Amino acid sequence: MHRSIHSSRRCLLARRALLARLRAFLFCLLGLMPALAQAAPIKVVATVPALASLARDIGGDRVEVTSLSLATQDPHFVDARPSLALALNRADLLLAVGLELELGWLPTLLTGARNPRVQVGGPGYVDCSMAAMLRGVITGPIDRAHGDVHAGGNPHYLFDPHNALRVGKLIAERLSAIDPEGSAIYAANERAFAESLNRRVADWQARLKPLKGRPIIAYHSSWLYLAEWIGLREVAFIEPRPGIAPTPSHVARVIATGRAEGVRAILQETFYADSTSRLIADKLGAKLLRLDGGPNTRRGESYADHMERVVAALIEAMAPAVQSSKEARP
Amino acid sequence: MTPLMALSGVMAGRRVGRSCAAFLWRVASPCLLFLLLVSFDLPARAQARPSMDNGQAAPTPVEFESGAKTSVVPAAEPTAEELAEIERALAADSATSDGESVHSAESSAPVLGPVGAALANFNPDLSVILDVAAGWFSGEGEAISAGGHDPRKTGLTFQQLELSIGKAVDPYFRFDANLVFSQFGVEVEEAFATTLALPLNLQVRAGQFLTRFGRINATHPHTWEFIDQNFAVTRLFGGEGNRGLGLELSWLAPLPWFAELVFSVTDAAGESTARSFLGGGEFDIESPLDFQATAALKQFFALTDALSLNVGLSATTGPNATGNDNRSDLYGLDLYLRWRPVSGETLRWISLQAEIFWRRRQVPGDLIQDLNAYAQIAWRLADRWSVAARYEWGGAAFGIDGEVTHRDWLDSDWTRDRHRVSAAVTFHPSEFSRLRLQGARDHAPSLAPSPVWSVFVAAEFFVGAHAAHPF
Repeated sequence: MHRSIHSSRRCLLARRALLARLRAFLFCLLGLMPALAQAAPIKVVATVPALASLARDIGGDRVEVTSLSLATQDPHFVDARPSLALALNRADLLLAVGLELELGWLPTLLTGARNPRVQVGGPGYVDCSMAAMLRGVITGPIDRAHGDVHAGGNPHYLFDPHNALRVGKLIAERLSAIDPEGSAIYAANERAFAESLNRRVADWQARLKPLKGRPIIAYHSSWLYLAEWIGLREVAFIEPRPGIAPTPSHVARVIATGRAEGVRAILQETFYADSTSRLIADKLGAKLLRLDGGPNTRRGESYADHMERVVAALIEAMAPAVQSSKEARP
Repeated sequence: MTPLMALSGVMAGRRVGRSCAAFLWRVASPCLLFLLLVSFDLPARAQARPSMDNGQAAPTPVEFESGAKTSVVPAAEPTAEELAEIERALAADSATSDGESVHSAESSAPVLGPVGAALANFNPDLSVILDVAAGWFSGEGEAISAGGHDPRKTGLTFQQLELSIGKAVDPYFRFDANLVFSQFGVEVEEAFATTLALPLNLQVRAGQFLTRFGRINATHPHTWEFIDQNFAVTRLFGGEGNRGLGLELSWLAPLPWFAELVFSVTDAAGESTARSFLGGGEFDIESPLDFQATAALKQFFALTDALSLNVGLSATTGPNATGNDNRSDLYGLDLYLRWRPVSGETLRWISLQAEIFWRRRQVPGDLIQDLNAYAQIAWRLADRWSVAARYEWGGAAFGIDGEVTHRDWLDSDWTRDRHRVSAAVTFHPSEFSRLRLQGARDHAPSLAPSPVWSVFVAAEFFVGAHAAHPF
């Protein structure tokens, strides 16, 4: 008897608790309504963080941007983790570097993504190299005796900010095509982005002027566009051929070239092994610059912030005289 | 002294019987010599080769061309002669190229968008993979190895020449095929179309394909960490792994993590592809139950940026060759844990892979069951080197009474547990070639009276379109 009263009371309490929870849930749902009424953000997926940063600058609040790789990862060799296929499955727009940079991992992910919007040829697939001024295009016969070369051109084109401007324009166009309502906003954002980047480019070029004609050694052919933009001379690569790890005899020749040219800076991305580069830097008395391949978007770094970091590092390594004036800057 | 020399020294000194060692040395030494030559300075040798195209420098984005004589330098410090030589080479280069770096086959002025060689063409992407091996067995190799591409006897083995073909058919389908050439003919290993634009996260594959039962079954030899096939797969399905003509439907669940459900219906016949089912015999299809049906749930968890976990659950069922509507059911659990850093040197990784299979088969008057499992660890420890170790276990078949049985019509002698331990070292001259050395000890009391030791040396070469590696 006692027990049954007790249990019915417990039952009542449980029911009340359930009702309270249900009410809370409904309130939450109502609270969400206005948010749902607003257009869902355009989901942009970029293969590398530099493109993600450009998409964020141009898409503003209307887009939600994901990068499939981090700035510290080698974009040639990203693991095709299924979680990346999931991001592509839900994407409205895919920004790829192109030029076969992502060939080892993106096609598998795209097939698994089951998303016709971002398949090659789909409205949301953007090969950003289509807008870039490309260098290193192979015009002769090609085979891999030359290493892991990219026939269509060197894919590290975003290291020339002029290419970032061109790609920015392309992103604005493609965003407008899939989201016509936002086209005015995208166009305005693109203008603002271009103005701001142009100002910074002018500033960088002024600061980098003293470096024109200086020799550098690069680990991989990642800095072709940067070198051409600034007027640096890439006199040697630590990789004997793209994608081939350095060998002793090649390293010896790199040191010889470095000495003959008076190289002051060695450039390499952080994801390459640095013991060989450090050895060469020691022998040459040069500075080893280990730079991220793109902006650290997780820390909120933008494309322009990253380029500023690269420019500052170059100036610090190669023109100590220029550095003091840089420190005087606000 | 390179690691390879050390390795060959260890091999030669191995206590496996003097005559065996001598024979092994005979078989392996040319390969090792080759490995040694190639590993020492492959790119430099390639560079030193005089260019062939009418005296023009070979198209290369690298300096130091035009037949500069290369000598091997033990230390990184260039010698005086070498410096002089390099200066000569540099002078020669600058004379031909106005002091510009030599990018002879590249356009010097920037161009808008991809052009030239990168222009789209309608030919499918082709890649060709050659696998050749030399093997040595201390006992009867053919008695214990059953993989279609395994070295199975002492001597040389042409493992396979694989031609992969793939391209989008139209906006709705993608086509993929893997044709395998052996010394005796051509085999259509896989040829299927995959849908690209089905609604509701669905995808269909149709044609001949490897079923997605478990993890290793759906993979090709060029993605394996070992030279030979897992014996669990050869015992359960046959030397080629489980595949057949059929239809597959998969669905990507709308969940916060990656979860894919796969169903397929394939032909249940095939001596080396479906031996637990109908095997090599001729059978008529009378009902849908005469096909092999497979279901799998593949889940992926990105534990951190660097740590990934894949978990798969699989089941497959089909008629078997013992008649009377008898069926075989197989269940599998696979785990794949991979660590690969996302900062620092990101070409290093460690992976741990394990699978366990449970097989139940109806036979006249009994229900026989067995378990098979393997676990392997692989470590890419340097830019060019990786190592791997594997343990495999295959349990004896037991009947409904729990006693070991001889009623297994496929391997009636498999009445005691089999254990195999393998270790492999791989040298990667580039992303497109692999040179491998593998040793194993196979304790299969039902198949060979005493443990069989084996050593394989294998080479793999890859040309053509860049392979996209599935995770």
